[in-house]
Amino acid sequence: MNPYVLAILLSSLGIGTTLTFASSHWLLAWMGLEISTLAIIPLMAQQHHPRAVEATTKYFLTQATAAAMILFASTTNAWTTGEWNIQEMSNPTALVLITMALALKIGLAPVHYWLPEVLQGLDLTTGLILSTWQKLAPFALIYQISPMMNPTLVIMLGLASTIIGGWGGLNQTQLRKILAYSSIAHLGWMMIVMQYSPNLAILNLILYITMTTATFLTFKNVASTKLSTLTLTWSKTPMMTTMAMMTLLSLGGLPPLTGFMPKWLILQELTKQDLPLTASIMALAALLSLFFYLRMCYAMTLTIAPNTNNNTSTWRQKSSQTTMTLSITTTLALALLPITPAIMALTT
Amino acid sequence: MFYFTFLVLIGLVLGLVGVASNPAPYFAALGLVVAAAVGCGILVGHGGSFLSLVLFLIYLGGMLVVFAYSAALAAEPYPETWGDWSVLFYVVVYIAGVLVVGGLVGGDWYSYSWVVVDEFKDLSLLRGDFSGVALMYSLGGAMLVVSGWVLLLTLFVVLELTRGLSRGALRAV
Repeated sequence: MNPYVLAILLSSLGIGTTLTFASSHWLLAWMGLEISTLAIIPLMAQQHHPRAVEATTKYFLTQATAAAMILFASTTNAWTTGEWNIQEMSNPTALVLITMALALKIGLAPVHYWLPEVLQGLDLTTGLILSTWQKLAPFALIYQISPMMNPTLVIMLGLASTIIGGWGGLNQTQLRKILAYSSIAHLGWMMIVMQYSPNLAILNLILYITMTTATFLTFKNVASTKLSTLTLTWSKTPMMTTMAMMTLLSLGGLPPLTGFMPKWLILQELTKQDLPLTASIMALAALLSLFFYLRMCYAMTLTIAPNTNNNTSTWRQKSSQTTMTLSITTTLALALLPITPAIMALTT
Repeated sequence: MFYFTFLVLIGLVLGLVGVASNPAPYFAALGLVVAAAVGCGILVGHGGSFLSLVLFLIYLGGMLVVFAYSAALAAEPYPETWGDWSVLFYVVVYIAGVLVVGGLVGGDWYSYSWVVVDEFKDLSLLRGDFSGVALMYSLGGAMLVVSGWVLLLTLFVVLELTRGLSRGALRAV
């Protein structure tokens, strides 16, 4: 791709999300969402591979549907109440519609079907942008309308996403699909706590982005897109393989890694809100996700012989990929739990 | 006039059903034309004559011509019409769905009143849509700049998606 065009597209990707962040008016927020959707489309299809083009088409159709629903719902709200402000929305029909539209945009469960298929068609860098940066703008809108949203709907979205995110990933062997289901499950955790403590949802989003960035960059570094090639990584980069195992367990939410923090705090918040059943279901649904993280760990590291290895490493050239982001995010994804109070202070 | 608006509203629903019931692209384009044209009629009925003109010229004149051309490239020997069973099924389902949902929520959403824009103003020199256009060029200048940027961005997006003739995955012929 021409560097000038790439610059235009990347800056528009940034501008779109920033516009949505900065906006208090539904129309401008919608414009920001549309700009970021438009800007990422050529980036997704830049290889002109049929599968990438198919994924791009699916992404465009779902995002355009969601954006049209947002426009329709905000217009309905403005029509009945005369209010365009995002935080002043009050029409229940419009609120339900817009909640579902935003759920479709970030891929929450019952409207998550596009996410695994789209992510599977993309390369890991674009997939990383899709599952991190592209979630921010819709999430900011959800955060702003969360006090007005229908509580039953939010709880159902959260529970369904966590369960289906864990369940759907069970039978996958393709890493990008597993990561997509992991994204769905994590977004379910964010939704469930959204109305009780929005700060925890933001905290979970930040930590999820850190952990998933580390995972995507690890897979990119070893150029691996399926479980079977993951088993060969130890002979290429043994140190990173070890770190990747812990990153995956952090995504799964095991103490004492970073990923334990949001689950811990959210479960605590749910019990404090007198919702023990919801908290139990969430905790059990996290086990479903943990299964496929564990399977990735097993394929990657746990089958290595525990004694001194007699095999020589495979012949390879020194990798020319930059590893700065990978090392920073991996460190963050592993070791943030001790400074939990500081991070909580950051998001309040 | 009320009957005309009513007729046009029915036409809009039927036009959209015609597109959504998944016939061959030819006929879907026809349904889109009908929906767009009667949509302009609805706008006129509610007092948005300038808006309606803009929609008619840009949407029908500009975009749909290109769409019809693209649909013609994908011509089929035996295109499916609304009479075929596979399509007719959806037509019936959608119309029934519209009737059921309309019966359930119609009263809340559309309160059986028909108000033309600016009807309750004491004195209006300009219609709502005209003054809206004027506002867009004065107070809404920043929005206009953003919209202009989006159009430029769309141009680059389309050029980038359709480049690389033989390499591309999107090939019509």
